[in-house]
Amino acid sequence: MSVDSRTTVLDRLWSLFEGQSGSRRSLLLMSPLILFELLVFVVPFLLLVRISFSEQSQGLPYAEGTFTIASYVQVLQSELLQGIIVYSFKLGIIATLLTVVLAVFYAYATWRASGVRKSALLFSVVLPLLTTLVIKTYVWVPLLAPNGTANSLLLAVGLIQAPLQIVPNTLGVVIGQVYIVFPYAMLAIYSVLTTVEWELVEAARDLGASRIRSFFAVVLPEIMPGITVATVISFAWSVGAYSAPALLGAGSDRPFALEVQEQMLVNFNWPIATALSTVMLVLMFVSILVIYTVLGRFGGDVTNAT
Amino acid sequence: MLLPLGIVIATSFSASGNLQFPPQALSLRWYSAFFADVVWLRAFDNSLVVGVGTTVVATFMGITAAFGLEAHRGRFGDILTPIVILPLLIPPVILGVTLLVYFSRLGFRSSYLSIILAHSLWATPLVFFVMQSVFQRFDWQLRDAGMDLGANPIRVFIHVILPNVKSGILVSALLAFIISLQEFVMALFLSNYQTQTIPVLAWNSLRQSLTPIVSVVSTFLILISIVGLLAAALATNIEFVAKRLS
Repeated sequence: MSVDSRTTVLDRLWSLFEGQSGSRRSLLLMSPLILFELLVFVVPFLLLVRISFSEQSQGLPYAEGTFTIASYVQVLQSELLQGIIVYSFKLGIIATLLTVVLAVFYAYATWRASGVRKSALLFSVVLPLLTTLVIKTYVWVPLLAPNGTANSLLLAVGLIQAPLQIVPNTLGVVIGQVYIVFPYAMLAIYSVLTTVEWELVEAARDLGASRIRSFFAVVLPEIMPGITVATVISFAWSVGAYSAPALLGAGSDRPFALEVQEQMLVNFNWPIATALSTVMLVLMFVSILVIYTVLGRFGGDVTNAT
Repeated sequence: MLLPLGIVIATSFSASGNLQFPPQALSLRWYSAFFADVVWLRAFDNSLVVGVGTTVVATFMGITAAFGLEAHRGRFGDILTPIVILPLLIPPVILGVTLLVYFSRLGFRSSYLSIILAHSLWATPLVFFVMQSVFQRFDWQLRDAGMDLGANPIRVFIHVILPNVKSGILVSALLAFIISLQEFVMALFLSNYQTQTIPVLAWNSLRQSLTPIVSVVSTFLILISIVGLLAAALATNIEFVAKRLS
């Protein structure tokens, strides 16, 4: 009986779709996601841009219904904010370079490994990827602080006389940020690497190419699309870094994300927070286009990559 | 890569009040402190509500969209894919600010719904791409066979397609849940004292003092991820999961 009733429900449900053509039906299936992206992504960003053009207000987060470019002028003229923007990009570039180089090595090692070793190497990357930023950041405090594990070890061995100031300091921020973005970069490179045929490398070696030469001549050009994706991800997230500078940085480690958070939640100055966000988005977008163009020259065209 | 996570777990068994590695003496006192603390337990409930909500929303939208795209490729699919990826490339602080402004305007800031929708921005792309590759590997002749036998397409979907892709659905649901459970920057902007999730509370208490109770919580979060990941790896394999995450 239950089977019967289910049949009629399904038949009735289908009758709603029956008259539609194939493309209409698939559009209907995609419509929840399309609607969601519109309402929770596109429209909110339009509102963000609108509020960045509002006047700042004393009592309220922003003055409704006003229009001014004052906040943009302030963002682009303030030396403090300029310093913050420059810091964000410096952190982004340094962390990205380190991450991508390390990720290429790790991905290559994983690609060459087999069986349990390979699974272990993959697991070691996927688990941190699925671990909250909070943990990935604060673990470096007991490790790298002046009285932390690393310093105690180095002091005990006698390599250093006084504790190194790694955390809180810029070095700590870079270490933390690289650890955060590494898994994403590694997997982006790895998934392209698995499509490369090892026979190509063997052929190059048979023809007399050294291990290093065969890597640069055969493997590297093939994995450029993966490297491009890894670079873009690492860069975007490191420029927008929040937790690592907040927890591992000194007072001078101040990227835009911290400033935006403070303007938004502490000072309730929404026009400045939104204007700074918009400026950063535009700058990041331009930088990502540059990365695409430059790496695309070296064969990093991602249109054919997965 | 795993070493730092191991250290977090080790420090959770510390007997002293300071976060140090290796711990001087071992005890479970921070575990009992966690279970005695109402605020932590409520944060745990909040994380669960938000995680389950995100899983439902993201899995539903991701599966229907991937199926629609696979069944009929059109120009909407070409526009949809980049828009779905874009939120993953935008710094979470900017997303947090944007959604805070928007949800305040709509009048439901700090609600569970606002955090669920925010997390769905990140969880849905994963479901979408996992399911897209699952549907691509599905043998569509089976569907055609079902249709030829006179079953209506919805019945074919339930009786023929669903059983073949259920491991893919399980993996994407698990990933969606874990993404939501671990996300903290957007949740930091969108939650209040009542609705704060575990990572948000952990972050806030870290900024005040560094006690091993955060390590206890971290241990739980890491364990949940391990269990989820193992389940996903068993349903498919670790390589499949790893590749889909990139």
